[in-house]
Amino acid sequence: MAQLSLQHLDKIYDNKVQAVYDFNIDIEQGEFIVLVGPSGCGKSTTLRMIAGLEDISKGHLILDGKDITTLPPKDRDMAMVFQNYALYGHMTIYENMAFSLTLRKENPNVIHKKVLAAAEILDLTSQLNKKPSQLSGGQRQRVAMGRAIVRNPKLFLFDEPLSNLDAKLRGSTRREIMLLHKRLGATMLYVTHDQTEALTLADRIVCMSMGHVQQIGTPLELYDNPANLFVASFIGLPPMNFFETLVSGDKLIGPHFEVEMSPEQKDLLASYQGKHITLGVRPENVVPGGTVPVKVSKNENLGMNTLVHGHIDGTGSEGKIVCKFRGWGDYKDGDIVMVSFNRMHFFDKETTNAITREVK
Amino acid sequence: MSQIKAEIMTEAYIKKDRLRYVKNKLSGNLAIISIVFNALFFVSIYKSNVGQYYYKPLIGASIVYNLLFMMIVFLVSEGSKNYSINYSYIAIPVAVLQFARIFVYPMMGHRATTLTTGVEEQVMKDGQFIRVVIYLIASGVFLLLSAFIGIVKCKNLQKHIAEIEANN
Repeated sequence: MAQLSLQHLDKIYDNKVQAVYDFNIDIEQGEFIVLVGPSGCGKSTTLRMIAGLEDISKGHLILDGKDITTLPPKDRDMAMVFQNYALYGHMTIYENMAFSLTLRKENPNVIHKKVLAAAEILDLTSQLNKKPSQLSGGQRQRVAMGRAIVRNPKLFLFDEPLSNLDAKLRGSTRREIMLLHKRLGATMLYVTHDQTEALTLADRIVCMSMGHVQQIGTPLELYDNPANLFVASFIGLPPMNFFETLVSGDKLIGPHFEVEMSPEQKDLLASYQGKHITLGVRPENVVPGGTVPVKVSKNENLGMNTLVHGHIDGTGSEGKIVCKFRGWGDYKDGDIVMVSFNRMHFFDKETTNAITREVK
Repeated sequence: MSQIKAEIMTEAYIKKDRLRYVKNKLSGNLAIISIVFNALFFVSIYKSNVGQYYYKPLIGASIVYNLLFMMIVFLVSEGSKNYSINYSYIAIPVAVLQFARIFVYPMMGHRATTLTTGVEEQVMKDGQFIRVVIYLIASGVFLLLSAFIGIVKCKNLQKHIAEIEANN
C-alpha cells in the first residue's frame, strides 16, 4: 500500500501539444481512484506518467514521501494492467504470472508460492498450465491482474482493463476488481471512459476533460453536486437535460415553460435576477405531473423504467428533454406529458460552473 | 490450495510441486546440446581429400541415420520438456548407439588407408579421429543425462500428483 501525491503535473509533448494541465491530487493508502473522461482527455497520459512510461514535463510525483518524478519505471514498484492484457502468447499462464519475478531472479520456490496464492485469489488455479489463447477475455484479464498481484507492488495501475470485454463479462470482472481491492487493500488507480465503472468502483473519481481536472470527489458528490456543466453532462446516464432559462422574480423562465423557485433557490439566484442561467435537470428528476409540457417523440421501456425522449412543447432542439419515469410506460409519439422537476442544478452561463450545490 | 496451505509448504514440497507448472527445460536443452554435438560430428567426419574411401553404401546409411537421429532427439527434447517419460526411455538406446557409432566410421576410417595423389594415406588422421570421437561421446553423454534427468523428474512428478490425488 502506498500514498501517492501528484503535484502540479503537466505533460507537454515535443510538438508542444499539452495533454495534461496542472494535475493535483493526494491519494491515500488503500484508496481506489478512478480517472474518468472522454477519449483524449489525458487520463491515460496521466496514468502513464505515474507509471514512468511518459516523462513528466512539469511537477512532482511523490510516492510514500519520496520524489519519484524521474525514477525509471522498473524502480517505481508499481504494476500496470493494460486493456489488451499484454500476455506472452508462447508462455503458459503460470509462466506469464511468474515472468516479472523470474526477471528479478527471485527464488523459484518463492515465485511458486506467490503465483499459486495469486491464482487462488483470482480462481485461476486450474488454468495455470494453459496458454493465453486457450482462455476467455475475462480470464486473460484476470491473468494480467495476477501478474500484477504477484509483484506485490505499492500501487496498481489499470488502463481501461475492461474495454475489450463484452458487457456481461465486464460486469463480472468489475465485481472481481472490487473484491480484489477489498481483499488486498491496495492503492489502485483506474482509468476508464465508462462512467458506470467509475461510479461503482471508485472511492474518489477524478473527472477530466481536455487535459484539465474538472472535479475530484466521491461518486455521489460528482453525481449530486457536479462542479460544472461538463461533469454534469458526463456523469449520469442518460445525461442531464440542460435549458437556458431567465431568472425572473421567483420564476425560472425557459423555452415555453416556467418553473417556480423555492425561497432558498430564489436567494441563491438573487445575483442572477434578470440574467440567463443554465438549468440542469437529470432525467430521473423529471416526474410526471406538473406545468412543463413535453411532447413525446420516442418511448423506450427498460422494464423498471421508461425513457421518454421528446422536447418541451413548442420548442425545437433547444427544448430537447429525456425523462426517466418509473415503471412501464406507454407514451405515443406526439403525446403531450405534463412534467415537473423535483431537483434542479444551476450553472453560470458564462463560466459553466455550478452556481451552487444541488438545491431541492 | 489455500493461503494457509501455501504457507506451510516445505521447500522440498514446493520443489516437487513446481514440476506441475514448470517445464523440464533442463532435459530438453540437454537433448538439444546432444543434437549440436552430433551435427559437429557429422560436418567433421567426411574429409574431402581422402580419395573415394567414403563412397560406399554405408555413407548413405550414415547420412540417413544422422537425419533420423536429429529428428528423434528433437522429439525427445520436446517430449521430455513436457514430462513424457516414454521419450526419455527412447533416448537411452539412441544415446548408446552414439557410443556404438565410434566403432563404425571414425574407427574404420582411422584404421584404413587410401591412395591420394599416388601416396598412401591414413583416411582419418589422429587429430580428426579424436575430435569426432569426442563429439560422439559428448552427444551420447548429453542425451543420456537428458534421459536420466527426464526419468527422475517424471517419476517425481507422477508420485507427487498421486499424493495430491490421494490427499484430495
